Amino acid sequence: MAATGALGASIPKHRPSSEQLLRTAVLPWFVVLVLAVLAQIVLQPLLGEYGAKVARQAGIFIIAAVSLNVVNGFTGQFSMGHAGFMAVGGYVAAFTTYYGSMVLYGSADKLAYPVVAGVTLPLTTGHLLMLAGIALGGCVAAVLGLLVGLPSLRLRGDYLAIVTLGFGEIVRVLLELSGPQMFTAAEVKDATVKQWLSFPVGGSLGFSGIPTYADAFWVFLLAAGTCLIAYRIKQSSSGRAFLSIREDEIAARAMGINLTAYKVRAFVFAAFFGGVAGGLLVHSGVPSQPSIAGFQASFEIIIMVVLGGLGSISGAVLAAIILSVLPEMLRNLAEFRLILYALLLIVMMLVRPKGLFGVREVWELGRGGGSGGGGGGSVSGGGGR
Amino acid sequence: MSNLLDVAGIGISFGGLKAVQNFSLSMPKGCLYGLIGPNGAGKTTVFNLLTGVYRAQTGTITLDGVRVEGLPPHQIAAAGLSRTFQNIRLFGDLTVLDNVKLACHLRGSHSMLATMLRTAGFQAQEGAITARAMDMLGVFGLERLAGEQARNLPYGDQRRLEICRALATEPKVLLLDEPAAGMNPSEKKSLAETIRQIRERFGLAVLLIEHDMGLVMEICQQITVLDHGEVIAVGTPEQVQSNPKVIEAYLGAAEPAAADAVEAGGAAAASSAGGAHGAA
Repeated sequence: MAATGALGASIPKHRPSSEQLLRTAVLPWFVVLVLAVLAQIVLQPLLGEYGAKVARQAGIFIIAAVSLNVVNGFTGQFSMGHAGFMAVGGYVAAFTTYYGSMVLYGSADKLAYPVVAGVTLPLTTGHLLMLAGIALGGCVAAVLGLLVGLPSLRLRGDYLAIVTLGFGEIVRVLLELSGPQMFTAAEVKDATVKQWLSFPVGGSLGFSGIPTYADAFWVFLLAAGTCLIAYRIKQSSSGRAFLSIREDEIAARAMGINLTAYKVRAFVFAAFFGGVAGGLLVHSGVPSQPSIAGFQASFEIIIMVVLGGLGSISGAVLAAIILSVLPEMLRNLAEFRLILYALLLIVMMLVRPKGLFGVREVWELGRGGGSGGGGGGSVSGGGGR
Repeated sequence: MSNLLDVAGIGISFGGLKAVQNFSLSMPKGCLYGLIGPNGAGKTTVFNLLTGVYRAQTGTITLDGVRVEGLPPHQIAAAGLSRTFQNIRLFGDLTVLDNVKLACHLRGSHSMLATMLRTAGFQAQEGAITARAMDMLGVFGLERLAGEQARNLPYGDQRRLEICRALATEPKVLLLDEPAAGMNPSEKKSLAETIRQIRERFGLAVLLIEHDMGLVMEICQQITVLDHGEVIAVGTPEQVQSNPKVIEAYLGAAEPAAADAVEAGGAAAASSAGGAHGAA
């Protein structure tokens, strides 16, 4: 009787003090918020209209790459359908904001931004509508992530990649088959149930006229927030479970990890934040077309994850920034972009086969190995990016 | 009733190959049990059956009064059966500390929401897990390597880390698959000492597969010998050592010309041998 479990019982749990809790749990969010405000009022004017657009694009791809990294990087499951989840989230969010604005405000034009003490605030009821749409889009994408994830978990490697690739293509084709967009408030008012059921988002013509509420503040807030959350997961028991599955499934199971539960968790998490990225994308002035769900779009995000290092959040962030800015600088060579990507990948495989940072974060590179396991301690790094 | 682990007649075939047949084993609390046999006898297959990697086609496995055959591996681990692997299976990219922390996963709750929010409960649990993992590393003298990537450890330390990781799941029965493989004599000596210590300190039963007879005979109280997937002898080290069938299985028959006859006769003799020595 004296035998088992005595070890576990002997370890007391120290609940953190409220001051400590404030510092580790709340402060990072506060830092993210402050930086987001700075991004809006300092960075955006500094970059100019074009630069700010590229920066917002980079931010959106940061969310996409960091979330895909949870599946492809942490858990080691090769998903090729991330753009499919992005498109689902994006179209649901766009639908909500566009038709919501039509119904509430009579048009899909942007509302006038309030000015407080000479500063234009990116906060109107339209923004709230956008946030609701993004949340809804993320949830729909997460449900699809669950539906795709559950049967796919019997598959490994190439087979899983093919299934997820197929998912993205299915989304693309379904979006192409969607009903024609309604352009005026009168049309929306008279729309029949049948018209609504056809999901009127413009089919292959694309969904246009979505109010561009995705200002620098919101993009930064959600991008940094995603990084913070991903980092917290990486530094937790759940994160270790993800990584253990990638390292060795048999050993992970023997140590008591429920493979199915964790693979599904990874899929749902990635799908949700992929949906959030898509929601921001459609509100950033980029034309919403079914092709955003396609293979090429998924491939771009995979490149970011691989380039940054499978499992490295800061690596994915850096890669997303590089691959968002680089094409803009090489605009004249647009057709050769994919060739350049392929070349870049080949060079990376030769020079740094584990990506820029491997599984580590940029601030861990100097150390001998890994994170050293700070446990609950220094976390606020997430907000610094 | 007093047995911690009761295995009765488990078996599995791969196609026409009967890898393990009618394997039985009884381990009381706190015992050190050896499982030996020539290469390919089916020892690791027995471990895979016990831990749920393979599903037993026949027989029952009872761990501390709970039937565990047919459960998935993570539930068997939760029930209190933990193992190491013949070919080391550490999480190479994770740190030494994280390897052990992962094994503490079983005895906690892991809500994604609490993780994202870093709630007080989450932080308390992470702190407790870290403290426990450091404690466990201390038992094996690995604490100074805590921040090192597991793949960078020297071979002997990797073996010990695997045992440490298995122990961190708080098992009732620990299965060690050739823990001394590739170790030099002095490492083996300290390993034997460690195994004795952990058995006493954590009060668990240890089932050991090992090729090093010196080690097995030195530390095991009871030994089962396996050949061609069947139990050919059960008993104390002395009994097993003097058993002619065991000697035959390891060294072959006295006359080379009789090899074929032994092959055929061995299987028939083995089933009766199990009964004969089972009383020990």
